[in-house]
Amino acid sequence: MNRYALFLGCTTPTQVMQYELSARWVCHHLGIDLVDIDDFVCCGINQINLSQEAGLLLAAMNLAYAEREGLDILTLCAACTGALSEAVESLRDQETRDRVNRKLQPIGLEYNGRTRVKHISRILYEDIGLDRIKKEVKRDLSKLRVAPHYGCHYLKPESAFDGFDDPDNPNSLHQLISATGAFPVRYETLNLCCGGKSFPVSKEPAFSLVQNKLDNLMNKKIDCLVVQCQTCYLMYSDQQKVINKQFKKQYNMPVLLYPQLLGMALGGDPKDDLGLDLNAISLDDLLEKAGIHRKI
Amino acid sequence: MDPKDKSKGPIQVSNLDVKFRSEVISHKEAGGLNACFSCGTCTAGCSISEVFPEYSPKKVAKMVKLGMKQEVLSSPFIWYCTTCHNCEQHCPQNVKFFNILNVLKNMAAKEGYAPSPWVEQTRQMMETGLVFPVDESVVKKRRSLSLPAIRSEGEKAKRLIEITGLDKIQAKKKR
Repeated sequence: MNRYALFLGCTTPTQVMQYELSARWVCHHLGIDLVDIDDFVCCGINQINLSQEAGLLLAAMNLAYAEREGLDILTLCAACTGALSEAVESLRDQETRDRVNRKLQPIGLEYNGRTRVKHISRILYEDIGLDRIKKEVKRDLSKLRVAPHYGCHYLKPESAFDGFDDPDNPNSLHQLISATGAFPVRYETLNLCCGGKSFPVSKEPAFSLVQNKLDNLMNKKIDCLVVQCQTCYLMYSDQQKVINKQFKKQYNMPVLLYPQLLGMALGGDPKDDLGLDLNAISLDDLLEKAGIHRKI
Repeated sequence: MDPKDKSKGPIQVSNLDVKFRSEVISHKEAGGLNACFSCGTCTAGCSISEVFPEYSPKKVAKMVKLGMKQEVLSSPFIWYCTTCHNCEQHCPQNVKFFNILNVLKNMAAKEGYAPSPWVEQTRQMMETGLVFPVDESVVKKRRSLSLPAIRSEGEKAKRLIEITGLDKIQAKKKR
C-alpha cells in the first residue's frame, strides 16, 4: 500500500509552498496516501556542522515518530532525504543505536531500525512506475525541452541509497521527465551542486556554482530547469534574480519542481493545484508551449 | 590557509600539534584519514574547489596529518563545504572526507569559530523545532493555499540539543 508519513522539512512549508501544494496534489491523484505527523522536527542536517551527535539524534527522533505510526517516510527535500537516510545507515550499527536510544528514552522515543526513507521522486519512479504515469498524462508537453537537476543528497552518499540510481550518471529523473511527455536534455553541468548548503555561510562560491549551471543552460534552447529539492529551487530561481541584479546578468531560466511538471501533464490546475503562480521566474512562454493559455 | 595572508611566515615545526591527527581520528567517523595517500581525487571532484580553488579537501587532510591544528580550526574555508559528497564518491581509498570535515567543524565550533548562521538556526530550532520561523505571514499564506497548519514546537528538539551541548556553542565574534 502506498501510505507514507509526509516529511516536509523546514524550507518547503515556510518558503516554497508550491512544492508542498503540487506534491500533495500529485500524490492524491496517483493514490499515494500521505499522513501528516505534527511532531516532526528539522531533519538535523545543518546541526551536523556544529554537532554530529545532535544531527543524528534529531534525525533519529523523526525516524522514531514515523516508526511509532508504522509508516515509512516520504521526503520532498533532497537534503532531508540524505540526512535521514544516512541516519538510517548509521543506526544499523547496534552500538550506535543503543547509544542513541538511551538519549531518546527521556523524551519517550525509541527507534528500532524499521523506518525507511524515500524521496517523492523515487516513490514515483519505483512504486508508481513510469508506465502508470504515462497512462495518466492528459496534457501534451512534447514541445518542452527540460533540463533535469537531481540534487546532491538525492543520490549521495551512495551507500545510503541502495544503488537505485548511479550518482555519476543518473537517469531516473530523465525518465520521470520523459514519462510526462517532455524531452529531457543532457547537458555538461548536470551533476553540479547548487551550493545551497553553504550559502548561509559563504555566498560567493554558491553564486559562482549557480552561474556555471545557468551559463551552460542558457544557450541550449531549454524551456525550464526541473529540480526535486526546494533548496536547489531557491538557489536556481530566487537567487537567479539576485544574481541578475548584483552581477548585472540577464538570466531568464524558468525553474519548476518535478511535481509541478508532472501535475501539468496530469491535468492539474496551474494555480490551485500546482501553485505555478508562486514561482519566481515567469512561466508565460512555458505555459503557452504546454497549451495552457490562461494567465496565472 | 589564506594564500594572500603574508603576515605569517613558513610553518614552524615547533608550532605543530603532533597530537592533532590522533585527536581527529579518535572520532570513529574520521578514522578513514589513515588510509588517505593524498592523491587529490577529492579536490578534483570538489564543487567548491571548482569555483574557489583556495579550498581543497586534499590540503585540509594534509594539514591535519601535519598537525596544523590552529590553522585548520581557525580557517573560514572549512565552512565553505556544500556537502555534495563528491569528495568521497570517487576516493580510491574509500575515505569519507565529508565525515572528517564534520569532525573538524565540530572541534572548531567548540573553540569558538562557529559561523553565526548555524548558531542562529540552533536557537530557532530550540524554539520551534524548525530552523526557520513560522511567522504570521507563513500562517496566512498556508491558509490561503488550503495547506494544513504546521505545529511548530521545539521542546523535545531542545532537550536533545541540550544533551549534546550544542546549545552551549557560541558564534564566532566579529572582529
